[in-house]
Amino acid sequence: MKRVLIVDDSISVARQLEKIVTGSGEYDVVGHAKNGAEALKMYQIHRPDLVCMDMNMPIMDGLTALRTLMTMNRAARVVMVTSLGGVGDKFTEALRLGARNVISKPFEEANVLQILREACV
Amino acid sequence: MAVKFFGQFLVERGAVSPDKLLEAIDLQDRTNLKFGEVAMTLGFLGEAEVERVHDAQRGEDLRFGDMAVKLGLLTPEQMQQVITWQKNNHLYIGEALVKVGALDSARVAKLLEEFKADQAPYLAGAVMIPEGVDNPQVWEMAADLTFKMLARVANLAFRPGPCVLSQSFDAKHLAAAMDFSGSLRGRYLLSVSRGVQQAMARAILKESDVSGEPKEVLDDTVMEFINIVCGNIAAKGAQMGQNLEIDPPLVVAENDQQVSVPPEFIALSFPLYFADGEGAELSLWIAR
Repeated sequence: MKRVLIVDDSISVARQLEKIVTGSGEYDVVGHAKNGAEALKMYQIHRPDLVCMDMNMPIMDGLTALRTLMTMNRAARVVMVTSLGGVGDKFTEALRLGARNVISKPFEEANVLQILREACV
Repeated sequence: MAVKFFGQFLVERGAVSPDKLLEAIDLQDRTNLKFGEVAMTLGFLGEAEVERVHDAQRGEDLRFGDMAVKLGLLTPEQMQQVITWQKNNHLYIGEALVKVGALDSARVAKLLEEFKADQAPYLAGAVMIPEGVDNPQVWEMAADLTFKMLARVANLAFRPGPCVLSQSFDAKHLAAAMDFSGSLRGRYLLSVSRGVQQAMARAILKESDVSGEPKEVLDDTVMEFINIVCGNIAAKGAQMGQNLEIDPPLVVAENDQQVSVPPEFIALSFPLYFADGEGAELSLWIAR
Protein backbone atom coordinates (compact mmCIF):
# COMPACT_ATOMS: atom_id res chain seq x y z
CA MET A 1 0.00 0.00 0.00
CA LYS A 2 1.29 3.47 -0.91
CA ARG A 3 0.85 6.11 1.76
CA VAL A 4 -0.76 9.37 0.60
CA LEU A 5 -0.94 12.81 2.17
CA ILE A 6 -3.85 14.97 0.95
CA VAL A 7 -3.35 18.75 1.04
CA ASP A 8 -6.43 20.87 0.35
CA ASP A 9 -8.26 23.59 2.28
CA SER A 10 -11.57 22.10 1.13
CA ILE A 11 -13.05 19.36 3.31
CA SER A 12 -15.22 18.17 0.44
CA VAL A 13 -12.28 17.77 -1.95
CA ALA A 14 -10.28 15.91 0.70
CA ARG A 15 -13.25 13.59 1.19
CA GLN A 16 -13.62 13.04 -2.55
CA LEU A 17 -9.93 12.28 -3.00
CA GLU A 18 -9.81 9.99 0.03
CA LYS A 19 -12.79 8.05 -1.28
CA ILE A 20 -11.12 7.63 -4.68
CA VAL A 21 -7.65 6.61 -3.48
CA THR A 22 -8.71 4.29 -0.65
CA GLY A 23 -11.47 2.83 -2.81
CA SER A 24 -8.83 1.65 -5.29
CA GLY A 25 -7.27 -0.53 -2.59
CA GLU A 26 -3.82 0.76 -3.57
CA TYR A 27 -3.37 3.61 -1.10
CA ASP A 28 -3.71 4.53 2.56
CA VAL A 29 -4.37 8.17 3.41
CA VAL A 30 -1.99 9.15 6.22
CA GLY A 31 -3.33 12.65 6.75
CA HIS A 32 -5.17 15.72 5.50
CA ALA A 33 -3.37 19.08 5.66
CA LYS A 34 -5.45 22.21 5.08
CA ASN A 35 -2.66 24.47 3.82
CA GLY A 36 0.95 24.35 2.66
CA ALA A 37 2.45 25.01 6.09
CA GLU A 38 0.51 22.10 7.63
CA ALA A 39 1.56 19.94 4.70
CA LEU A 40 5.27 20.51 5.34
CA LYS A 41 4.88 19.56 9.01
CA MET A 42 2.81 16.48 8.21
CA TYR A 43 5.22 15.43 5.47
CA GLN A 44 8.08 15.33 7.95
CA ILE A 45 6.02 13.31 10.44
CA HIS A 46 4.48 10.78 8.05
CA ARG A 47 7.02 10.64 5.17
CA PRO A 48 4.27 9.64 2.68
CA ASP A 49 5.02 7.96 -0.67
CA LEU A 50 2.85 10.50 -2.47
CA VAL A 51 1.42 13.97 -1.85
CA CYS A 52 -1.75 15.28 -3.56
CA MET A 53 -1.50 19.06 -3.24
CA ASP A 54 -3.93 21.89 -4.02
CA MET A 55 -2.49 25.21 -5.27
CA ASN A 56 -4.89 27.87 -4.04
CA MET A 57 -4.86 27.67 -0.22
CA PRO A 58 -4.73 30.16 2.65
CA ILE A 59 -1.64 30.68 4.87
CA MET A 60 0.74 28.95 2.43
CA ASP A 61 -0.18 28.18 -1.18
CA GLY A 62 0.62 24.90 -2.87
CA LEU A 63 3.43 26.11 -5.14
CA THR A 64 5.30 27.65 -2.18
CA ALA A 65 4.87 24.42 -0.24
CA LEU A 66 6.00 22.37 -3.24
CA ARG A 67 9.17 24.48 -3.59
CA THR A 68 10.05 23.94 0.09
CA LEU A 69 9.09 20.29 0.05
CA MET A 70 11.39 19.57 -2.90
CA THR A 71 14.32 21.17 -1.04
CA MET A 72 13.53 18.90 1.94
CA ASN A 73 13.40 15.81 -0.28
CA ARG A 74 14.32 16.03 -3.98
CA ALA A 75 12.76 12.61 -4.54
CA ALA A 76 9.37 13.59 -3.09
CA ARG A 77 6.46 12.52 -5.28
CA VAL A 78 3.94 15.33 -5.55
CA VAL A 79 0.91 15.60 -7.82
CA MET A 80 -0.87 18.94 -7.86
CA VAL A 81 -4.69 18.74 -7.81
CA THR A 82 -6.05 22.16 -8.63
CA SER A 83 -8.66 24.25 -10.38
CA LEU A 84 -5.75 26.35 -11.71
CA GLY A 85 -4.29 23.48 -13.77
CA GLY A 86 -5.40 25.12 -17.00
CA VAL A 87 -3.42 28.30 -16.29
CA GLY A 88 -0.28 27.65 -18.34
CA ASP A 89 2.11 29.56 -16.08
CA LYS A 90 0.93 27.74 -12.96
CA PHE A 91 1.08 24.36 -14.68
CA THR A 92 4.62 24.81 -15.99
CA GLU A 93 5.84 26.31 -12.71
CA ALA A 94 4.56 23.22 -10.87
CA LEU A 95 6.42 20.92 -13.28
CA ARG A 96 9.60 23.01 -13.06
CA LEU A 97 9.47 22.81 -9.27
CA GLY A 98 9.32 19.02 -9.49
CA ALA A 99 5.64 18.05 -9.44
CA ARG A 100 5.10 14.71 -11.20
CA ASN A 101 1.89 15.92 -12.85
CA VAL A 102 -1.04 18.31 -12.45
CA ILE A 103 -4.66 17.19 -12.20
CA SER A 104 -7.29 19.80 -13.05
CA LYS A 105 -10.49 20.21 -11.05
CA PRO A 106 -13.13 19.06 -11.67
CA PHE A 107 -11.45 15.65 -11.85
CA GLU A 108 -12.61 12.18 -12.77
CA GLU A 109 -11.82 9.10 -10.70
CA ALA A 110 -10.17 7.10 -13.50
CA ASN A 111 -7.96 10.03 -14.46
CA VAL A 112 -6.87 10.62 -10.86
CA LEU A 113 -5.93 6.96 -10.34
CA GLN A 114 -4.05 6.74 -13.64
CA ILE A 115 -1.97 9.84 -12.87
CA LEU A 116 -1.24 8.76 -9.28
CA ARG A 117 -0.10 5.33 -10.50
CA GLU A 118 2.24 6.95 -13.04
CA ALA A 119 3.57 9.28 -10.35
CA CYS A 120 4.49 6.33 -8.14
CA VAL A 121 6.64 4.62 -10.79
CA MET B 1 -13.55 17.84 -17.67
CA ALA B 2 -11.86 21.22 -17.16
CA VAL B 3 -10.46 24.12 -19.17
CA LYS B 4 -6.97 23.13 -20.26
CA PHE B 5 -4.21 24.23 -22.61
CA PHE B 6 -2.83 21.78 -25.16
CA GLY B 7 0.44 21.00 -23.35
CA GLN B 8 -1.39 20.18 -20.13
CA PHE B 9 -3.83 17.94 -22.00
CA LEU B 10 -0.89 16.01 -23.48
CA VAL B 11 0.87 15.50 -20.13
CA GLU B 12 -2.35 14.56 -18.36
CA ARG B 13 -3.03 12.01 -21.12
CA GLY B 14 0.52 10.63 -20.84
CA ALA B 15 1.15 11.51 -24.51
CA VAL B 16 4.30 13.47 -23.58
CA SER B 17 6.40 13.49 -20.42
CA PRO B 18 6.58 16.60 -18.19
CA ASP B 19 10.30 16.93 -19.08
CA LYS B 20 9.63 16.93 -22.83
CA LEU B 21 6.84 19.50 -22.43
CA LEU B 22 9.16 21.78 -20.45
CA GLU B 23 11.85 21.35 -23.14
CA ALA B 24 9.30 22.36 -25.80
CA ILE B 25 8.13 25.37 -23.75
CA ASP B 26 11.76 26.49 -23.29
CA LEU B 27 12.20 26.26 -27.07
CA GLN B 28 9.05 28.35 -27.55
CA ASP B 29 10.35 30.95 -25.09
CA ARG B 30 13.61 31.23 -27.03
CA THR B 31 11.85 31.37 -30.43
CA ASN B 32 8.77 33.51 -29.82
CA LEU B 33 10.25 36.97 -29.42
CA LYS B 34 8.45 39.78 -27.64
CA PHE B 35 7.27 42.83 -29.55
CA GLY B 36 10.23 44.98 -28.45
CA GLU B 37 12.75 42.26 -29.33
CA VAL B 38 11.29 41.93 -32.84
CA ALA B 39 11.28 45.71 -33.29
CA MET B 40 15.00 45.70 -32.40
CA THR B 41 15.70 42.73 -34.72
CA LEU B 42 14.03 44.62 -37.59
CA GLY B 43 16.07 47.73 -36.77
CA PHE B 44 13.05 49.88 -35.86
CA LEU B 45 14.03 50.49 -32.22
CA GLY B 46 17.17 50.58 -30.09
CA GLU B 47 17.54 49.37 -26.50
CA ALA B 48 17.04 52.85 -25.03
CA GLU B 49 13.79 53.31 -26.97
CA VAL B 50 12.49 49.91 -25.82
CA GLU B 51 13.23 50.95 -22.24
CA ARG B 52 11.38 54.24 -22.83
CA VAL B 53 8.29 52.34 -23.95
CA HIS B 54 8.48 50.06 -20.89
CA ASP B 55 8.72 53.12 -18.61
CA ALA B 56 5.68 54.70 -20.27
CA GLN B 57 3.72 51.44 -19.91
CA ARG B 58 4.14 51.64 -16.13
CA GLY B 59 2.01 54.80 -16.16
CA GLU B 60 -0.54 53.88 -18.82
CA ASP B 61 -2.18 50.58 -19.70
CA LEU B 62 -1.26 50.29 -23.40
CA ARG B 63 0.29 47.41 -25.33
CA PHE B 64 3.93 47.84 -26.37
CA GLY B 65 3.21 48.56 -30.03
CA ASP B 66 0.42 51.05 -29.32
CA MET B 67 2.63 52.85 -26.80
CA ALA B 68 5.57 52.97 -29.21
CA VAL B 69 3.30 54.52 -31.85
CA LYS B 70 1.88 56.97 -29.31
CA LEU B 71 5.39 58.05 -28.35
CA GLY B 72 6.27 58.53 -32.03
CA LEU B 73 8.93 55.81 -31.92
CA LEU B 74 7.19 53.58 -34.47
CA THR B 75 4.88 54.32 -37.39
CA PRO B 76 1.60 52.36 -37.55
CA GLU B 77 3.04 50.56 -40.62
CA GLN B 78 6.13 49.50 -38.66
CA MET B 79 3.92 48.26 -35.82
CA GLN B 80 2.00 46.13 -38.33
CA GLN B 81 5.27 44.77 -39.75
CA VAL B 82 6.34 43.66 -36.26
CA ILE B 83 2.98 41.95 -35.65
CA THR B 84 3.20 40.19 -39.01
CA TRP B 85 6.78 39.06 -38.25
CA GLN B 86 5.65 37.66 -34.89
CA LYS B 87 2.74 35.85 -36.53
CA ASN B 88 4.89 34.37 -39.31
CA ASN B 89 7.60 33.21 -36.93
CA HIS B 90 5.42 31.99 -34.06
CA LEU B 91 6.28 28.49 -32.86
CA TYR B 92 3.20 26.69 -31.55
CA ILE B 93 3.52 24.12 -28.79
CA GLY B 94 2.67 21.25 -31.13
CA GLU B 95 5.46 22.30 -33.51
CA ALA B 96 7.85 22.72 -30.59
CA LEU B 97 7.06 19.19 -29.38
CA VAL B 98 7.89 17.86 -32.86
CA LYS B 99 11.17 19.80 -32.89
CA VAL B 100 12.27 18.37 -29.52
CA GLY B 101 11.40 14.86 -30.70
CA ALA B 102 8.47 14.28 -28.34
CA LEU B 103 5.87 13.62 -31.05
CA ASP B 104 5.63 13.39 -34.83
CA SER B 105 3.42 15.77 -36.84
CA ALA B 106 0.72 13.21 -37.57
CA ARG B 107 0.36 12.36 -33.89
CA VAL B 108 0.19 16.09 -33.00
CA ALA B 109 -2.61 16.59 -35.51
CA LYS B 110 -4.56 13.63 -34.11
CA LEU B 111 -4.09 14.73 -30.50
CA LEU B 112 -5.07 18.30 -31.41
CA GLU B 113 -8.38 17.02 -32.76
CA GLU B 114 -8.94 15.07 -29.52
CA PHE B 115 -8.04 18.18 -27.52
CA LYS B 116 -10.55 20.31 -29.45
CA ALA B 117 -13.26 17.73 -28.80
CA ASP B 118 -12.33 17.67 -25.09
CA GLN B 119 -12.55 21.45 -24.85
CA ALA B 120 -15.64 21.93 -27.04
CA PRO B 121 -18.01 22.03 -24.04
CA TYR B 122 -16.19 25.14 -22.81
CA LEU B 123 -16.57 27.22 -25.96
CA ALA B 124 -18.33 30.48 -25.18
CA GLY B 125 -22.13 30.55 -25.44
CA ALA B 126 -24.48 33.51 -25.64
CA VAL B 127 -24.44 35.77 -22.59
CA MET B 128 -25.31 39.45 -23.02
CA ILE B 129 -23.49 42.05 -20.91
CA PRO B 130 -25.05 45.54 -20.58
CA GLU B 131 -23.45 48.18 -22.78
CA GLY B 132 -20.73 50.39 -21.34
CA VAL B 133 -19.03 47.70 -19.24
CA ASP B 134 -15.31 47.30 -20.00
CA ASN B 135 -13.96 43.89 -21.08
CA PRO B 136 -17.44 42.45 -21.73
CA GLN B 137 -15.97 39.31 -23.33
CA VAL B 138 -14.31 38.36 -20.01
CA TRP B 139 -17.56 38.69 -18.02
CA GLU B 140 -19.49 36.85 -20.73
CA MET B 141 -16.98 34.03 -20.43
CA ALA B 142 -17.16 34.05 -16.60
CA ALA B 143 -20.96 33.81 -16.58
CA ASP B 144 -21.05 31.26 -19.38
CA LEU B 145 -18.50 29.02 -17.63
CA THR B 146 -20.48 29.30 -14.38
CA PHE B 147 -23.64 28.13 -16.15
CA LYS B 148 -21.79 25.24 -17.80
CA MET B 149 -20.18 24.14 -14.52
CA LEU B 150 -23.53 24.33 -12.70
CA ALA B 151 -24.86 21.88 -15.24
CA ARG B 152 -21.79 19.64 -15.56
CA VAL B 153 -20.29 19.64 -12.05
CA ALA B 154 -23.38 20.22 -9.92
CA ASN B 155 -25.87 18.43 -12.22
CA LEU B 156 -28.30 21.35 -11.93
CA ALA B 157 -30.95 22.33 -14.47
CA PHE B 158 -31.90 26.01 -14.44
CA ARG B 159 -32.85 28.98 -16.58
CA PRO B 160 -30.59 32.05 -16.52
CA GLY B 161 -32.29 35.43 -16.42
CA PRO B 162 -30.90 38.49 -18.23
CA CYS B 163 -27.79 40.18 -16.82
CA VAL B 164 -28.44 43.55 -15.17
CA LEU B 165 -26.35 46.16 -13.40
CA SER B 166 -27.16 46.04 -9.69
CA GLN B 167 -26.49 47.96 -6.48
CA SER B 168 -27.15 45.08 -4.10
CA PHE B 169 -26.78 41.34 -3.79
CA ASP B 170 -29.19 38.85 -2.22
CA ALA B 171 -27.25 36.28 -0.14
CA LYS B 172 -30.17 33.79 -0.14
CA HIS B 173 -29.36 30.78 2.06
CA LEU B 174 -25.60 31.16 1.57
CA ALA B 175 -23.28 33.39 -0.44
CA ALA B 176 -19.65 32.51 -1.14
CA ALA B 177 -17.07 34.62 -2.94
CA MET B 178 -13.58 34.67 -4.38
CA ASP B 179 -11.53 37.80 -4.90
CA PHE B 180 -9.49 38.15 -8.05
CA SER B 181 -6.65 40.45 -8.98
CA GLY B 182 -4.05 40.82 -11.71
CA SER B 183 -4.96 42.48 -15.00
CA LEU B 184 -8.55 42.80 -13.69
CA ARG B 185 -9.65 43.22 -10.08
CA GLY B 186 -12.91 42.36 -8.39
CA ARG B 187 -14.98 39.73 -6.62
CA TYR B 188 -16.88 36.70 -7.90
CA LEU B 189 -19.97 35.91 -5.77
CA LEU B 190 -22.51 33.12 -5.93
CA SER B 191 -25.55 32.92 -3.68
CA VAL B 192 -27.66 29.78 -3.47
CA SER B 193 -30.98 28.81 -1.91
CA ARG B 194 -31.03 25.88 0.53
CA GLY B 195 -32.24 23.42 -2.11
CA VAL B 196 -29.57 24.45 -4.59
CA GLN B 197 -26.90 24.10 -1.92
CA GLN B 198 -28.13 20.59 -1.11
CA ALA B 199 -28.11 19.60 -4.78
CA MET B 200 -24.60 21.02 -5.15
CA ALA B 201 -23.41 19.10 -2.08
CA ARG B 202 -24.89 15.83 -3.37
CA ALA B 203 -23.06 16.27 -6.67
CA ILE B 204 -19.71 17.36 -5.23
CA LEU B 205 -19.62 14.80 -2.42
CA LYS B 206 -21.09 12.14 -4.73
CA GLU B 207 -23.61 11.18 -2.02
CA SER B 208 -27.31 10.56 -2.62
CA ASP B 209 -28.28 11.97 0.81
CA VAL B 210 -26.56 14.93 2.46
CA SER B 211 -29.25 15.70 5.05
CA GLY B 212 -26.96 14.51 7.87
CA GLU B 213 -23.93 16.53 6.76
CA PRO B 214 -22.76 19.32 9.08
CA LYS B 215 -23.16 22.95 7.96
CA GLU B 216 -19.38 23.24 7.62
CA VAL B 217 -19.31 20.53 4.94
CA LEU B 218 -22.36 21.85 3.07
CA ASP B 219 -20.90 25.37 3.01
CA ASP B 220 -17.56 23.95 1.87
CA THR B 221 -19.15 22.38 -1.19
CA VAL B 222 -20.39 25.79 -2.36
CA MET B 223 -16.94 27.28 -1.76
CA GLU B 224 -15.32 24.39 -3.63
CA PHE B 225 -17.75 24.83 -6.50
CA ILE B 226 -16.79 28.48 -6.94
CA ASN B 227 -13.12 27.53 -6.54
CA ILE B 228 -13.49 25.16 -9.49
CA VAL B 229 -15.35 27.76 -11.55
CA CYS B 230 -12.91 30.58 -10.78
CA GLY B 231 -9.86 28.40 -11.50
CA ASN B 232 -11.33 27.57 -14.87
CA ILE B 233 -12.20 31.24 -15.47
CA ALA B 234 -8.54 32.07 -14.76
CA ALA B 235 -7.51 29.40 -17.31
CA LYS B 236 -9.89 30.78 -19.96
CA GLY B 237 -8.81 34.31 -19.02
CA ALA B 238 -5.17 33.36 -19.67
CA GLN B 239 -6.18 32.16 -23.15
CA MET B 240 -7.76 35.61 -23.66
CA GLY B 241 -4.59 37.42 -22.55
CA GLN B 242 -5.83 38.25 -19.03
CA ASN B 243 -3.70 37.37 -16.03
CA LEU B 244 -6.08 36.60 -13.16
CA GLU B 245 -4.87 35.62 -9.69
CA ILE B 246 -7.52 34.23 -7.35
CA ASP B 247 -7.67 34.14 -3.57
CA PRO B 248 -9.10 31.18 -1.63
CA PRO B 249 -12.93 31.15 -1.38
CA LEU B 250 -14.87 32.44 1.62
CA VAL B 251 -18.44 32.65 2.89
CA VAL B 252 -19.49 36.31 2.75
CA ALA B 253 -23.13 36.33 3.84
CA GLU B 254 -26.09 34.06 4.62
CA ASN B 255 -29.74 33.90 5.72
CA ASP B 256 -31.20 36.22 3.05
CA GLN B 257 -28.95 39.10 3.97
CA GLN B 258 -28.98 41.98 1.44
CA VAL B 259 -25.44 43.09 0.68
CA SER B 260 -24.81 46.57 -0.76
CA VAL B 261 -22.28 46.73 -3.56
CA PRO B 262 -19.37 48.97 -2.45
CA PRO B 263 -19.14 52.16 -4.56
CA GLU B 264 -15.71 51.23 -5.95
CA PHE B 265 -17.30 48.33 -7.87
CA ILE B 266 -19.72 47.92 -10.77
CA ALA B 267 -21.87 44.83 -10.13
CA LEU B 268 -23.22 42.56 -12.86
CA SER B 269 -26.06 40.40 -11.58
CA PHE B 270 -27.13 37.13 -13.24
CA PRO B 271 -30.27 35.62 -11.64
CA LEU B 272 -30.71 31.87 -12.04
CA TYR B 273 -34.12 30.19 -11.79
CA PHE B 274 -34.59 26.57 -10.76
CA ALA B 275 -37.64 24.35 -10.45
CA ASP B 276 -39.67 24.38 -7.20
CA GLY B 277 -38.91 28.04 -6.47
CA GLU B 278 -35.22 27.42 -5.74
CA GLY B 279 -32.78 30.07 -6.91
CA ALA B 280 -29.22 31.29 -7.21
CA GLU B 281 -27.52 34.51 -8.24
CA LEU B 282 -24.14 35.09 -9.80
CA SER B 283 -22.76 38.55 -9.12
CA LEU B 284 -19.54 39.88 -10.62
CA TRP B 285 -18.13 42.92 -8.85
CA ILE B 286 -15.69 44.70 -11.12
CA ALA B 287 -13.35 47.40 -9.80
CA ARG B 288 -14.07 50.75 -11.44
